Amino acid sequence: MSATNIRAQLSDSISAVLSNKIAGRELRWYLSGWRLGIILLVVCIILPFVLDGIDPSLVTTSIAIGTYIILALGLNIVVGYAGLLDLGYVAFFVIGSYTVAVGTYGFLQNAQGKSIPIPSFSGQLFWLLIPLAALLACLFGILLGAPTLRLRGDYLAIVTLGFGEIVPIVFQNVPWFFGQFGMSASPPPDVGPITFSDPLNQYPFYYLTLALVVLVILGVTSLRGSSIGRAWIAIREDETAASVAGVNLVRTKLMAFGLGALVGGIGGALNAAFVSSIAPSDFNFNISITILIMIVLGGLGSIPGVIVGAIVLRFVDVYLLGKINDAVHGLPLVSGSGAPLHFLNNVDFNTAKFLIYGLILMFMILLRPQGLIPDVRRKRELQGIGASAEGASAVGLLEREEAGEDEAGGETTTVGAGSDAQGRED
Amino acid sequence: MPENVLLRLRDVKKVFGGLTAVDGITFDVNQGEIYSVIGPNGAGKTTVFNLITGIYKPDGGEMLFEGQSISGLSPDRVLRRGITRTFQNIRLFNNMTVLENVLVGQHSKIPGNLPSVLLHLPNYQRAERRAEERAVELLSFFGPSLVARKDDYAANLSYAERRRVEIARALGSEPKLLLLDEPTAGMNDAETGEAINYIQRLRSEFGLTILLIEHKLQVTMGISDRIAVLDYGRKIAEGVPAEIQRNEQVIEAYLGRKAAVE
Amino acid sequence: MLTLASVFAANSSSSNIFLQQIENGITLGAMYALVALGYTLVYGIIELINFAHGDIFMWGTVITFIVVQMMGLNHPLSGFALVGVLLLLIIIGMAVSAFLNAGLERVAYRRLRKAPRLAPLIAAIGASFILETIVQLWRGTNFYAFPDIFPHGGFTIFGARVNYLDIFIVVLAVAMMYGLARFINTTKLGRAMRATAQDPEAAALMGVNINRTISITFLIGGALAGAAAVVYNMYIGQVWYLTGFQLGLIAFTAAVLGGIGNIYGAVFGGFLIGLIQSLAIQFIPGGFQWSLAVVFAVLVLILVFRPSGLLGQQVPDKV
Repeated sequence: MSATNIRAQLSDSISAVLSNKIAGRELRWYLSGWRLGIILLVVCIILPFVLDGIDPSLVTTSIAIGTYIILALGLNIVVGYAGLLDLGYVAFFVIGSYTVAVGTYGFLQNAQGKSIPIPSFSGQLFWLLIPLAALLACLFGILLGAPTLRLRGDYLAIVTLGFGEIVPIVFQNVPWFFGQFGMSASPPPDVGPITFSDPLNQYPFYYLTLALVVLVILGVTSLRGSSIGRAWIAIREDETAASVAGVNLVRTKLMAFGLGALVGGIGGALNAAFVSSIAPSDFNFNISITILIMIVLGGLGSIPGVIVGAIVLRFVDVYLLGKINDAVHGLPLVSGSGAPLHFLNNVDFNTAKFLIYGLILMFMILLRPQGLIPDVRRKRELQGIGASAEGASAVGLLEREEAGEDEAGGETTTVGAGSDAQGRED
Repeated sequence: MPENVLLRLRDVKKVFGGLTAVDGITFDVNQGEIYSVIGPNGAGKTTVFNLITGIYKPDGGEMLFEGQSISGLSPDRVLRRGITRTFQNIRLFNNMTVLENVLVGQHSKIPGNLPSVLLHLPNYQRAERRAEERAVELLSFFGPSLVARKDDYAANLSYAERRRVEIARALGSEPKLLLLDEPTAGMNDAETGEAINYIQRLRSEFGLTILLIEHKLQVTMGISDRIAVLDYGRKIAEGVPAEIQRNEQVIEAYLGRKAAVE
Repeated sequence: MLTLASVFAANSSSSNIFLQQIENGITLGAMYALVALGYTLVYGIIELINFAHGDIFMWGTVITFIVVQMMGLNHPLSGFALVGVLLLLIIIGMAVSAFLNAGLERVAYRRLRKAPRLAPLIAAIGASFILETIVQLWRGTNFYAFPDIFPHGGFTIFGARVNYLDIFIVVLAVAMMYGLARFINTTKLGRAMRATAQDPEAAALMGVNINRTISITFLIGGALAGAAAVVYNMYIGQVWYLTGFQLGLIAFTAAVLGGIGNIYGAVFGGFLIGLIQSLAIQFIPGGFQWSLAVVFAVLVLILVFRPSGLLGQQVPDKV
């Protein structure tokens, strides 16, 4: 059996179980998904003990992976479901991170550079910061989305990119947040005997991350099969038809944007509590794109795909590249000053990852736009009864389509109340 | 306004750049009628549909539905008033199943508040179940074959089946007025015959009023109560089929020219 | 916008700050306009935001810098040597960027021409990452200072210092734009470009070779970015692998501001953004840190309130 076959079967079985087997039948689907979900959950609960045995740093790596699973699932709502290309998702990550930092640090800086004490969320109040971070990010998502969601897709992409660039600049330049030096955030408080502040014991943090990941997975899974999820996909497929079928475009898009941002805020809060020190320069366009690559790699709109995409990319990033760097630079052929492959000593494989990212984006879009583990919809079409090669299309965002022409105005997209469709379409 | 007028257009205009696509069109559609709009290509028929359903904003005139203005409403608001449509070039959601397509059509009937949906609260689950039952019911309007394919992807259906699914989707919102844009385009004679049959059944079984754009005279002349003829964005004639067939202006402007073209 | 600091610091001796910033803004704007034209040409013809365009520009700066290094130039030139070197650099810069841009179209965008709008955009983002990272791996993350090859000197008018270099930049940019306008409006290829922009299918029916026309559009857009790269090297002078990202976004903003697809709009937008930026730096407290944010704010406001740009789309000029 060829590798492709095995992979196809594997992704088949995973997506068949994890995803909506009979579309629209949420309840039945829920139950069938439960079984595999519980098995995977048990595996994840045991996992740190295994990892600890192999390499203790893998537990920390898992936490870093978990953060990005959350972020990727959040962005997937916006890009994968609703088909809105958000290139500035990092903004919500920043907002979530700074919420926890401001909430726990106890100080802000005034314009004269003096630290001013402020009340902090001390003790068990810390836990309020996670929903607060989510809500604040959601709020900013809605504030950004309200004026911009009427824009055509590619314009929206650039506006969100701008927002993603501006937010870290704001945190750097507004006096309160200690400029480029950033702020530190406290880890969560001890809960009974469980302590989050012991650097040698990462287990509590691992389980906190796992809990948040599970929560987000449950949330997006529930949404995916619901009327809201259907409306998102309808918009992605054909905005005008969705609108005529009764989907309120502005509201539905705002919901995608707001919920995507909300999940990003959760990821940010977890990140701040975990890394404990954040600065504006930690947040840039590369993060937005990294998350986008995770979902393009895994399969736009596919929950298992997005999770696998995040795991693979983040594992390579925080663990594998470092190991490769050390291994290559340690080779006798490389390390000595006169060694034949000495030039490799100057190659930083951590940098090279962006080359890989770029290649992944290009190749996925050109050769496999449906991703490694496609949304089940795509799967079904490939097996579909009488589906021709051209007839079957990948996830709507990247599918090939022949747009039909209306009689007088050509293709039209209406964009909610008060907007002039013509002006934007010309 | 007489009580039985459902949709009233008064002097409706639409201009694209320098081109006047709809130049002051006026007509009434009565409750329970099958009213057809015919005219040569580019006469502005689909533009009229786009104006009524809120895809375009009119540049002048008024549109009243049940006596209330629908000018400038977004398509989903128009739908909530009770108007929906199909498209000339069928616009199904190809990456959704037949059932899901029809469920999207019932979007306005399912509670949309986030907590209910996210937590699958009982009111939401009830609405979903009802919507599914209703969807199957609507599909069975076209016989058992479509019901059997409810879990197939819309992209995999035949042309005639896609037309039917699009109508089932439109019916999901329980409209009062259904706009059909060339519902028999691309169909052979047998399929056209079936379409004529179910368009009439739509009126009798669902109590719908139907506004129809159609090229095939076999269809329009056969089932319309009244017909309006458009040319260059204007209404040049209106009347019962027999009148339209006799109308010199229509024969000259529409039938004559069409014959010349073909 | 770290790199702009050097330029504006050099002019701090002028006595009329406002006029001085106008002068700086015009010079900067000429450079932006050249890059903005590349965005607008490509968008006009295939409705793609060529996200990698800024990095195409950056490659022009890097290659011409290497050429200058190899020639061992490190002091201002004059006479024939100056003319010769400038000509050589401009030709090399234009060629590098032009062929990279056209190559990208050939390898990636062409295959995605029938794909939905966002697919080529994502491919372009991938290309941008690839182009940046190659330079990063090859040259590192350091800034390299481009040697001072243009003669110093200039004159003062109404209290504003005008360097000869500034005049050279503006004249070069305006000459290129004039050439472009002539090309598009009077040549057969230009007509093919306009036809393809309006309706590719109709153009193809009329015998226009669509693939060739699109390739030429990418060549021209790239060439203008290459010329801008030489200008950038002499004016800003800091060669860096991420230059293209920021400058590209600014230039894209300029194109949108003028009305994307409209070549006069791109020129107008370029100068306007140059002026906005140089005045913001001077007159907004802490303007330096905020200057990029100001540019983005302009972009967002324009897109939200007037998405067709200030000049809108005059169809006859749309390419």
